[in-house]
Amino acid sequence: MKSKVSALMDGELDQRDVSNVIEAIRKGDDLQEEWEAYHLIGDTLRQSSRLSMNISSSVSQKLKAEPTVLSPNISTTEKKLKRRLYAFSVAASVIAMVSAWLVMQNLHEPQRIIMAEQPNHNNTLSIAPIVGSSPPSIHNYPHPPIEINDYLFVHREFSPGGTMRGQVTNVNSMTEYHERYGR
Amino acid sequence: MISRKIIALFLLLAFGFQATFAQELPRSSESALDWLRKMADAPRRHNYSGTFVYYADGHMETSRIVHKVDQISEREKIEVLDGSPRIVFRNNDEMKCYLPESKRIYTEKRWSRKFFPDILPQPFDSIIDENYYVKEARLERVTNHQCQVLSLTPRDSLRHGHQFWIDVETGLLLKAAVVNGSEIIEQFAFAQLKIDGEIHPDLLKPNLSMAQEEWKVTDLITSFLNEGELKWQVMSLPVGFRKLVEMKRNLAERPTLVDHIALSDGLATVSVFIEPITQDSPAPLPGFFTSRGAVNIYVRMLDDNKITTVGEVPLETIKLIGDSVIKKD
Repeated sequence: MKSKVSALMDGELDQRDVSNVIEAIRKGDDLQEEWEAYHLIGDTLRQSSRLSMNISSSVSQKLKAEPTVLSPNISTTEKKLKRRLYAFSVAASVIAMVSAWLVMQNLHEPQRIIMAEQPNHNNTLSIAPIVGSSPPSIHNYPHPPIEINDYLFVHREFSPGGTMRGQVTNVNSMTEYHERYGR
Repeated sequence: MISRKIIALFLLLAFGFQATFAQELPRSSESALDWLRKMADAPRRHNYSGTFVYYADGHMETSRIVHKVDQISEREKIEVLDGSPRIVFRNNDEMKCYLPESKRIYTEKRWSRKFFPDILPQPFDSIIDENYYVKEARLERVTNHQCQVLSLTPRDSLRHGHQFWIDVETGLLLKAAVVNGSEIIEQFAFAQLKIDGEIHPDLLKPNLSMAQEEWKVTDLITSFLNEGELKWQVMSLPVGFRKLVEMKRNLAERPTLVDHIALSDGLATVSVFIEPITQDSPAPLPGFFTSRGAVNIYVRMLDDNKITTVGEVPLETIKLIGDSVIKKD
């Protein structure tokens, strides 16, 4: 079953199996975890800035475990509250720093790669745009919508380029997206 | 107090990393931007005729161009010589596109299409400098003309890079490439060119056989809309992009009008088309598509509408723009 989950994620699962596997994932907790783990691994490999880590359950559990003070002693709780608030704010700012640092790392990752990739400084070609976010789900359509040709024809009037109607016959569905963008 | 020190340390670290990794490209030099201005002006100053080649994805296409300019008008004819024939006539901003095989003519009155070698917006827009670092690279010879090579490096990953080969004498663009790092995505180049020659007016008219036969004429009527008239909005434009125009237009053979928002970063353009899904229209296929060269396409659904985003920019930019289209209340 696990291999089927992995196949489903890669879009390689047979059409007939898809609904069965999705149903199994919905019912089985361990498969759900598997599914999330695969996504997390994928995102980490892609160095995605949007990790699909599911923290909602652990947060809500922590919240449940938090004791509720029913008869507050004003003077002491105020102090406690202040201390706690201070602790919270420190924790929050540390988290903010760390995440800011992580985000910055992510942001500047492409440029570092570019510097390494530039083999020849006289070669004045441009920086390679590198995309780092998680790819959306892509489906393989054998027959691209025909009306896209109309759109391309109309679009090009505002664009550099001499592509005219009839030239844009090879509109391909983007099946190689996975390869290009890191899956 | 220790925690404050820790915070200060983190702060220092954070700024330190920013300083280390942020490698801002400098402003483009005035002389490099002057080359772009000269290039943008050149088609308004010079006659030219010749043959140019378009090359992308292992596919090559040759076209013939005749361009005549005088005090009152600018006229042009571009004829695609490979594959199914297409001939475009332009008289200032009126255009007629002849498709001889299907005996169709597409016409448009306020035509602002940009053809190679006239690809820069008019008047010259300094937004280019905000999005690209323009640099004079080297001198190179193209179709027997000495050219200044300009490289336009994108300042972020939202757009592709460009290279222009500009005729030193006239400022005319003789070769252009769209690049992704060191990879060339598509390019145009003159194979043969005559600048400033006399151009006989007959060369810019449809030939007699075209004028006599029965052709089906389709007018791509557009109505340009004022700000806010369209019920759609691109909520957050990616950095460096501006809205050029909003309009309603008639696509070939389609009963319903399509909403069209055109965006530009000074060089690359993106179009957003919004079309209601009718019962008899084919079922829409959301997803990503590519065309030849630098064009990427993204189709998504919003309620009962299909939003198609098309442009010569990386797929990520297309997705950002397509996803930020919302319906106004």
